[in-house]
Amino acid sequence: MPELTPTLRTLSCLRKGECAFITGIHAPDSTRSRLQAMGLRTGREAEVIRCPRIGPMQIRVGNIHLIMRRCDAARVSISS
Amino acid sequence: MPNTGKSTFFNRLTGSSSRVGNWPGVTVDLLSARVVLGGQAVEVVDLPGIYDLHGFSDDEQIVRRFLENIQLDLIAVILNATQLDHQLPMALQFCQLGMKPVILINMIDEADQLGIRIDVETLARDVRCPVVLLSARHGTGMNEVRAALTTGIQNSTPVSLDRLRSTLHADDQLVEHAEALVKKSVIAPSRLVRKMTERIDRVLLHPWLGLPLFLLAMFLVFQAVYTLGAPIQDAVAWLLDGFRSWALVPLKGILPATLYGFLVEGLYDGIGTVASFVPVIILFFFFMAMVEDSGYLARAAFLTDALMARLGLDGRGFVMLLMGFGCNVPALMGTRVMRSRSLRLLSMLVIPFSLCSARLQVFIFIATAMFTPQQAPLILFFLYLVSFAAAFLTALIFGRRLKSDEPFVLELPPYRLPVARQVLMRGWHEVHHFLRRASTFIITGVVLVWLLTHYPNASTPGGAGTYASMLGQWLNPVLQPIGISPDMSIVLLFGFVAKEIVIGAMVAMTGLGGSALTGYLHTQMDSVQAISFMLFVLLYTPCLSTLATQRSESRSWKFAGYSTAWSLFLAWTVSYGFYQGGRLLGY
Repeated sequence: MPELTPTLRTLSCLRKGECAFITGIHAPDSTRSRLQAMGLRTGREAEVIRCPRIGPMQIRVGNIHLIMRRCDAARVSISS
Repeated sequence: MPNTGKSTFFNRLTGSSSRVGNWPGVTVDLLSARVVLGGQAVEVVDLPGIYDLHGFSDDEQIVRRFLENIQLDLIAVILNATQLDHQLPMALQFCQLGMKPVILINMIDEADQLGIRIDVETLARDVRCPVVLLSARHGTGMNEVRAALTTGIQNSTPVSLDRLRSTLHADDQLVEHAEALVKKSVIAPSRLVRKMTERIDRVLLHPWLGLPLFLLAMFLVFQAVYTLGAPIQDAVAWLLDGFRSWALVPLKGILPATLYGFLVEGLYDGIGTVASFVPVIILFFFFMAMVEDSGYLARAAFLTDALMARLGLDGRGFVMLLMGFGCNVPALMGTRVMRSRSLRLLSMLVIPFSLCSARLQVFIFIATAMFTPQQAPLILFFLYLVSFAAAFLTALIFGRRLKSDEPFVLELPPYRLPVARQVLMRGWHEVHHFLRRASTFIITGVVLVWLLTHYPNASTPGGAGTYASMLGQWLNPVLQPIGISPDMSIVLLFGFVAKEIVIGAMVAMTGLGGSALTGYLHTQMDSVQAISFMLFVLLYTPCLSTLATQRSESRSWKFAGYSTAWSLFLAWTVSYGFYQGGRLLGY
């Protein structure tokens, strides 16, 4: 029976001021390792501080604020 | 770790006795210094800041290589007191390897302000390592740090390097363990609010105002550097000139003519012209250090990343490019903040096209000599545009080959007031490093140019009968199609050493100055040739100092070579297109 893959909600879907819990990082090893080291770990809460129409996003995870490109943010899946 | 005040701490601990050196098995130079701890002389090495010992970035690999190859007596890990939950795992990674690190929790002053309290005894007991709280910025806790380091060294049991190599594997369990420890010993408000930083960012990162404010800030930095730098430059030039007339000219009768010419007119004058630019370079280093330390660099990267991403660069690359408009050298050294080597190389390929202040000097002279006061500013503006275009074109073309796999994730730190002492020390250190590297290049270049313009027969420097003029004739087939006369070709040779020398070279070659020199220029070129010449000077090669820095920062002669080859090619093509096009249009 074919498996249906539901479309994942990712960080890049969030708008300014929205929060969500991180459920996973979908990226090759080196990228995942880097994102995790910057604080993006499963179970942590992420809040979008800034989200301009073009350019990177500003995201708060814990006490650390990060600048992330949308394409990289799209690798971090979240729960609603 | 990055952003933990590691360099501040290192400077506190070691004073200014640090030097940069090479270590076996490690591909980059590391900063180290000798300190006396507990009566013993100890060598302290500053390893790159990393987030994860088992990570994949260049810095993390460097640290691992270092650990695998050098038998250490002690590891000290420096963490940020306000981010212990994020950072403690890394320190625990050393415990896992069997090394007993001394954990130094820095920025305790900031933690206090935010209401964070740390139970050092419980934490130290749980991790089974010494833990010390300190503020490197204010110097508090340094005595306890020294004591902990001394004890750590005395009680050290060296870890077998082979065991290390086999144990360096990733470990996610550490994170949960660390989180539990922190929960037990660290009391912090549930969410830290960075009020001041947020307020400032509302303005500086404003969707409309942000970018213009950034450009304004850059403009002000340039203004400041020139306002401060110009009098210092004049003073240095005055000193060098004074020494020359007082101590060196009298030697004219005593030394044989050739030796005098070589030492004074060749070596001293040549190096002197380059040296008089060092104050400006130093100031740019300081401002770069301030932009980085204050946290503004991250904001600039945020604002400019959208454009830069299209070119395969990132926001920080743009700031470096702008810095390059002052002087390429500090901008090239500034690329160290980039962890990905390919990104760094791409940035270093692009920065030399920035229209630096030395080149500006040459252009102002030629533009005012050859064009009307209405035309000259337009010509200069055109040259700036070409500079940007060349940079972006280079990024587009080479971006594909030098693709970076690393995600662009940067920390946006709270704003910090740069500590004057730290900025000065760091700036001074970078300048010292650069001078040491570049001086061999510069001296060689100066000597070479002098030899070429005085042998075998010299009536005037670079005149008929010298190798330089022969070179000029030999290059004529290549340079004539872009409108550059043989005499001007020799000037280009000087320009290779340093653009600042170009005007001085013309003076030396012709024996003319001021308005007479302007007249001379008119005999060498017309308007179209003038612009073609300036385009060539803008693009063909940066100065020797920049080349030296490119080589030392990339650790590759091949890279510096490629960069030079590309620059020459682009310069010739652009000049050719402009010159021939201009002639075709009837100018």
